[in-house]
Amino acid sequence: MARTLPRQTGTTMARTLSQLPWELLAVIVVIGSFGVIALYSVSGGSFSPWAERHALRLAVGLALAIAIGIVPIRFWLAMANPLYLVALGLLIAVPFVGTSTMGAKRWIGTTTLSVQPSEFIKFAIVLVLARLFFSSPPDRRSHPAVVFTALALVAVPAALVIRQPDLGSGLLIATLGVVVIFLAGVRWSYFVSGAGAAAVLGYVLWHNLRDYQVNRILTFLEPERDPLGAGYHITQAKIALGSGGLSGKGYLMGSQSQLNFVPEKHTDFAFTMLAEETGFIGSVTLLALYAVLIVIMIGMAMRVRNDFGRLVIGGAAALVAIHVNVNVAMVIGLLPVVGVPLPLVSFGGSSILTTMVAIGLAASAFAHRADVLRRDEIGTLI
Amino acid sequence: MFFRDPDSSAENPHFSRRAALLALVQAGAFAAITSRLYHLQIVEHNRYALLAEENKIAIDVLSPTRGRILDAHGRVLAYNTDGYRVVVVPSLAGNVDEVLRRLQRILAISERERMRLVARSQRQSPTTPLIVAQNLDWDTLATLNLNAPYLPGVRTEPGGRRIYHGGAAIGHVVGYVGAVERRAMDDAPVLRLPWMRIGKSGVEAGLEATLRGTAGRLTSEVDARGRHIRTMDRVDPVPGADVKLTLDLDLQSDIVQRLSEFKRASAVVMDVRKGDIVAAASVPGFDPSVLLEANSGSHWAALNASPDDPLVNRATRGLYPPGSTFKIVTALAALEAGVISTTEQIDCTGTYHFHDQTFRCWNRTGHGRCNLHEALRESCDYYFYDVARRVGISAIAGMARRLGFGRTFDAAFAGQKAGIVPDPDWKRGRFGRSWLGGETLLAGIGQGYVLSTPLQLAVMTSRIATGLDVMPRLVQEDAASQAPDAGSLGISDAALTSVRRALHAVVNESGGTGRRARAEVGSYEIAGKTGTSQVGRASADTAHGDLPWDQRDHSLFVCYAPASQPRFAVSVVIEHGGSGGSVAAPVARDIVDLAMMRATSREPAAGDGDRLDRSATGRG
Repeated sequence: MARTLPRQTGTTMARTLSQLPWELLAVIVVIGSFGVIALYSVSGGSFSPWAERHALRLAVGLALAIAIGIVPIRFWLAMANPLYLVALGLLIAVPFVGTSTMGAKRWIGTTTLSVQPSEFIKFAIVLVLARLFFSSPPDRRSHPAVVFTALALVAVPAALVIRQPDLGSGLLIATLGVVVIFLAGVRWSYFVSGAGAAAVLGYVLWHNLRDYQVNRILTFLEPERDPLGAGYHITQAKIALGSGGLSGKGYLMGSQSQLNFVPEKHTDFAFTMLAEETGFIGSVTLLALYAVLIVIMIGMAMRVRNDFGRLVIGGAAALVAIHVNVNVAMVIGLLPVVGVPLPLVSFGGSSILTTMVAIGLAASAFAHRADVLRRDEIGTLI
Repeated sequence: MFFRDPDSSAENPHFSRRAALLALVQAGAFAAITSRLYHLQIVEHNRYALLAEENKIAIDVLSPTRGRILDAHGRVLAYNTDGYRVVVVPSLAGNVDEVLRRLQRILAISERERMRLVARSQRQSPTTPLIVAQNLDWDTLATLNLNAPYLPGVRTEPGGRRIYHGGAAIGHVVGYVGAVERRAMDDAPVLRLPWMRIGKSGVEAGLEATLRGTAGRLTSEVDARGRHIRTMDRVDPVPGADVKLTLDLDLQSDIVQRLSEFKRASAVVMDVRKGDIVAAASVPGFDPSVLLEANSGSHWAALNASPDDPLVNRATRGLYPPGSTFKIVTALAALEAGVISTTEQIDCTGTYHFHDQTFRCWNRTGHGRCNLHEALRESCDYYFYDVARRVGISAIAGMARRLGFGRTFDAAFAGQKAGIVPDPDWKRGRFGRSWLGGETLLAGIGQGYVLSTPLQLAVMTSRIATGLDVMPRLVQEDAASQAPDAGSLGISDAALTSVRRALHAVVNESGGTGRRARAEVGSYEIAGKTGTSQVGRASADTAHGDLPWDQRDHSLFVCYAPASQPRFAVSVVIEHGGSGGSVAAPVARDIVDLAMMRATSREPAAGDGDRLDRSATGRG
């Protein structure tokens, strides 16, 4: 099918629109609706303060994703480095001009219009890595110069985010970067030796830690060790989930979540709310929707003919998938509690914006899948 | 199908395989999550359901007690009653209707009220408490607590009402509290509590942060019916701080009483030494305690519907052309710029010609030759048209700002207006047109675009009286955080002295426009300036008495006293009162008398106290 498409140059807007991955956008709307429904319940059956704003942000985000999707992928290729530099610049600026919430500086701007640079760096990293690997000839992709450039592009922002301090987002950014590097086809030996090095480093560190540090890490990994402190919320979240049962307690009836025991239940713990009120059926349905989203995106990547577009779609899919995995694993007690939102469901403008921009970039890559991008047009980094 | 690469010639042959591998990893992750969910929600459901039933943790936000507002002498203007309130939390009550029926045996709840509460419980969040009764005494509280086992979801807690003392006299200054607006509820969790009240106007709004205090938090274990099992953690709320004003309640009440013969009027009394606002009256007023009563709806409607805007504090939000009181500004600007001398005479013919326009002096036949002293004393417009033209609008605007126009002051006065000090930049920004020469002439006599508040007029007068950059303040500072003494205005003593002499002449020399502000013989002397500011386009040829009331001139007077050693500055504005000299001036004199009397009776050690007391009581 891809081969029968006419070249994109000179096609009308309508034609480009028809090429957008509408089934993907439809799934996005369905998942977003879960968010609106959950937030309506979180505020005790009221559209204010969260559900209405969430719906508005989703609508704006969707329009933005479509707008980004219409723009030729060629443009985003050209914008990859500038966008990355802007995002990195914001991240560096945070400690100086940022506002702090709960002891960590993560935000820039006033309360009415604030951005969280650790969000925007996520799609910027996908773009910049896709550009880097696209611009290196296939036989040079595993060249140490290329691989270590890629690692630096990931490690610098990840370290900045970890120092904010936001360990969860920092590790998430690092994971996302590694996934894109993996998709780019870098030789296995790098990943094997990287994993080995990490294991050795971790072992050495562990045996040089003081007792209280060891304790702190153990509690972080297994919050139940401290049931009234760090483990309190996760214990309560599990009670909420478990008491939901097969079909849940009914919409707006989640006594555990309606009682104010879970912090951030409108943001990071939104899944708890849904799982308590809609039960196993509801939580698995939401997971299945995310699975459909990821499968659609992988299918899209396969049909794109240029490598840049493929990596962008792959990276966007990874971005969503990692968030879902970490967030859900966190609220069901499989991972320590780190502040990672559930895409399209958690309340939060930055998160929706990041997700929608990533989806928009994937849409652009897919809509312009037959475009021929020439490596020599952009030159090489190395 | 999805995972097979349809284009074998793609540059990266690894992509499909690696994507497939990652998809597999993802499938594994979802499988792990699903199995965990299955374990929690299906296998262990009964255990967790039991835990949920037995063990609920409730986190309650504890509202802080609002700080009190006191007057300068420690009299309470706003405080909170003791008392208890009863609330029902629907999510814990289960059947709200049944619980309310049981409560009816203890409390006086009408059938209608019960239905209203039940309907309300269905509209709002089940965790948001419903207020069933307030201001309960101790006995009722004890009865309720005794019956607690039969009243699931019912909670009693301390919670008084805001009460105001001082009636309509203090309404504008103190303001009032009201329910939190929906859009403000996100600012802090405590604002979601249905009984939470925040300042809506006056000091209540301006010093909200100080008065509110900090919310506390109670974490407790409750059973499935909401009954308290044990307290897990308690962070007590920090009560709001008391605020002590510079305002004198008695003086404020007396001044409001004096102004009440007028439909709309305001007056500000400022202690020039420290800038303390001793009184800030605005008529008509409102009694904030009446607003907070249960059935205040009709009262609200009446206040809002009144064309006299009783809710508006005219002292800080009323904007008036300062009229001839502004000639003080023009005079100082001209003296400082050196465009006139105190001796130079200008011949007033009654009509000033500027290009092809004519500007009238209020005295049609002309004042004849007059110098600065005479021009201020008799408020000659012709003189100030010429002086304004010579010195220019920028110098006038600059002097106006130095004297306190065009800005707001102490934040405790919530919702102050800054007024307008016009200059060419302002006009370009506002209307996109350039400044006209004739507008300088109008500004020079305080007409045209110039707008000021009574508070600003009092500040100007204080600054003229002292030569210092006096800042008004409504809140007393504790000794630790006292503001530094006001610095000099930087206006030459010679210029200030000649203006002060002229202001003294306005009241005390024959021909002065403010003769009716003269204090009784044997008392202190007052220095002041009249102002009669035109409203809209009233034709100057119509006899004033024939005009409809709302087209008549505003009557203004500013003054300070004693003239020899200034203590108080006073500004008075009577809306549509007519001429400043005949209406506002005698009111200002009475206000000065009241202020001096209060001051000397509070400070018996003051040297000339006896004499002042006698003169004041003499007037009755």
